Amino acid sequence: MPVFKAPFNGYSVKFSPFYESRLAVATAQNFGILGNGRIHVLELSPGGPGVTESIAFDTADAVYDVCWSESHDSVLIAAIGDGSVKIYDTALPPPSNPIRSFQEHAREVHSVDYNPTRRDSFVTASWDDTVKLWAMDRPASIRTFKEHAYCVYQAVWNPKHGDVFASASGDCTLRIWDVREPGSTMIIPAHDLEILSCDWNKYDDCVLATCSVDKTIKVWDVRSYRAPLAVLNGHGYAVRKVKFSPHRRNLIASCSYDMSVCLWDYMVEDALVGRYDHHTEFAVGIDMSVLVEGLMASTGWDELVYVWQQGMDPRAS
Amino acid sequence: MEKAIERQRVLLEHLRPSSSSSSHSFEGSLSVSYSPSLSLSRSIAISKLQDSGLFEYLFVHLIDLISTTTYMYIFSLTRFFELYQASACLAGDSAAYQRTSLYGDDVVIVAAHRTALCKSKRGNFKDTYPDDLLAPVLRALIEKTNLNPSDVGDIVVGTVLAPGSQRASECRMSAFYAGFPETVPVRTVNRQCSSGLQAVADVAAAIKAGFYDIGIGAGLESMTTNPMAWEGSVNPAVKKFEQAQNCLLPMGVTSENVAQRFGVSRQEQDQAAVDSHRKAAAATAAGKFKDEIIPVKTKLVDPKTGDEKPITVSVDDGIRPSTTLATLGKLKPVFKKDGTTTAGNSSQVSDGAGAVLLMRRSVATQKGLPVLGVFRTFAAVGVDPAIMGVGPAVAIPAAVKAAGLELDDIDLFEINEAFASQFVYCRNKLGLDAEKINVNGGAMAIGHPLGATGARCVATLLHEMKRRGKDCRFGVVSMCIGTGMGAAAVFERGDGVDELRNARKVESHGLLSKDAR
Repeated sequence: MPVFKAPFNGYSVKFSPFYESRLAVATAQNFGILGNGRIHVLELSPGGPGVTESIAFDTADAVYDVCWSESHDSVLIAAIGDGSVKIYDTALPPPSNPIRSFQEHAREVHSVDYNPTRRDSFVTASWDDTVKLWAMDRPASIRTFKEHAYCVYQAVWNPKHGDVFASASGDCTLRIWDVREPGSTMIIPAHDLEILSCDWNKYDDCVLATCSVDKTIKVWDVRSYRAPLAVLNGHGYAVRKVKFSPHRRNLIASCSYDMSVCLWDYMVEDALVGRYDHHTEFAVGIDMSVLVEGLMASTGWDELVYVWQQGMDPRAS
Repeated sequence: MEKAIERQRVLLEHLRPSSSSSSHSFEGSLSVSYSPSLSLSRSIAISKLQDSGLFEYLFVHLIDLISTTTYMYIFSLTRFFELYQASACLAGDSAAYQRTSLYGDDVVIVAAHRTALCKSKRGNFKDTYPDDLLAPVLRALIEKTNLNPSDVGDIVVGTVLAPGSQRASECRMSAFYAGFPETVPVRTVNRQCSSGLQAVADVAAAIKAGFYDIGIGAGLESMTTNPMAWEGSVNPAVKKFEQAQNCLLPMGVTSENVAQRFGVSRQEQDQAAVDSHRKAAAATAAGKFKDEIIPVKTKLVDPKTGDEKPITVSVDDGIRPSTTLATLGKLKPVFKKDGTTTAGNSSQVSDGAGAVLLMRRSVATQKGLPVLGVFRTFAAVGVDPAIMGVGPAVAIPAAVKAAGLELDDIDLFEINEAFASQFVYCRNKLGLDAEKINVNGGAMAIGHPLGATGARCVATLLHEMKRRGKDCRFGVVSMCIGTGMGAAAVFERGDGVDELRNARKVESHGLLSKDAR
């Protein structure tokens, strides 16, 4: 299975929605505490195993998240630790990149997500307690959503409704927003400790999963938000990222500070479906490919990016 | 930078969340000591998580380099203390008192003995052949431990002033007198005043290297037979190299250099000499040297009549209990006009020998021999020949650091008193507690037979550590070396230590390990 060793510690990995063999990796020096960052765009070689880097962009501060544009096949957006949001075009050489840089957040931008339905806007979540809505062509943010009381770790668009997104925050709440509404439409006190990530179910527009410092993943239905649909235990430490599978309705992938990547089926009694222990440091980034069924990628602070098929050993070569 | 510390705090909150869920104060729940104005500030937060036998440690190690505009932080993430190199004496937390394990491949000392040290030319050994000095000590090692002499792998003798090959032959002969079979080889080593200690270190190194399992490190000097001298002419090239020329300085001149450069007064030097004599006299009177001194049956020849008188020498004859500041004050400086170094505050010129029996601990256990001490580390360093006396001030920290210890951890020192000036300087420079140094007197009272001193100090140190009990865990032997060097070795007590007694007060806390500071 292809493995890529980055020079810096990995933070996030995203498959390209246009090319099945392309993915972007956000990395940061010194575990993202201090130093530079780099975005790698990797190509999986079609024939044998192996992943090569096609282009890389250096940044002044840590890159915490990266996402591909849904409108242009070579554009990606990076969330940088100095509070800026930068847009890169992989078709242009590194010196002419980034093509845009938005400096509006007061603190680290922790996640960026592109609207998959409208395809013209993206939303960024930052540690300055705000979520900002942007469009590619606008010079400034369109809206700022300021309701959280602590760092917002992730903001994710609803895959079906182009105006709805959810945000997970360290103030232990999950908020559902509608861009047409002035404030949040729903506040779910999902966990007792910080919520590090959330993701929508790709097949049921009312179901989303959150993962938290309390080591659990909870699956919620917004229609009955008092109690979760399922509580998934099994991680040893805080769960860093959670992702719903774009191919199977009930499949959730999660990565955690216990260095493992787990697969869950929340409708089944014994929810843990698979567990991968390939990382030797915190596993912080995970993605499941939309174009290739079963293809997953993960990255961690051990500077490695693994791409593998579900069911196979990520370290097998 | 606050930003980096903030990021670190946010991340660590994920691993060690505070119990109150919604209270996040930006001062943080961690104890982070940060002082931007200091040249060095470190912050270690240890998040220790226990989960069914799996211990994970997140070490955040921030090092602030000297700079007003930029700071560089090194953030290292390890598990299971992989960062720390194994060191001779420590557990992972750099705490000397935690180390308890004994390893079969430790080099241990099972016996250490010496002859009495006597003034050369006038003392009790003035008519003794050098090989007759060494043989009794070697024989004593065998007899007192019931060792089969053919088990010894090598005998290394430190010896300085005698012509090389002749002295090497004399040592070989000495081994035969002592009852060693021809199968036991012998060699000599010469690093000037540290030769005895170097011999012990060489044997320890050879045992560690696996050349043999049992060895004897010894020292021998008869300054009656071989006084300090230079034979032949001096290479004119030395005039071009000041440091080479300084190697030819008489030792007393280097002592004056040290006294002058570092401001050691005549009063301090004389006081050190008085203390040395007082302590040595007290130790002799209390019988403290009885365990380590091997009586030597020899003869004294009356210079006028030629009569031979058989004597048994078992007491150091250089010690003068009646030494006072007043009597020393009358002595005139010898090496420099208006200098401070006199015969009274210099080491005595002596004859004597010492020997140390070392072996692998597994061998000692198998033979049922009690362990007197454990050889830990050795360091030889180089210093300016013109002030060669500063050697211990450089060598002791090197050896102590190599053992993974701090100077604080050392309970007993034997620092050779070549001259009071350099001895006082080294003691003050390192800030050592005078109560721990040369507690039974030093070379100014007992004598300094150059090659034997190292082995003599090891014997004195280990026997004193044994007397002091489990409190006394680590000891250091050190000396300066003519031509500008220093040597030091760290020894550990032989049979058991009191772990709790050796605990040291932690100055600043904040739940940080010793390596944080």
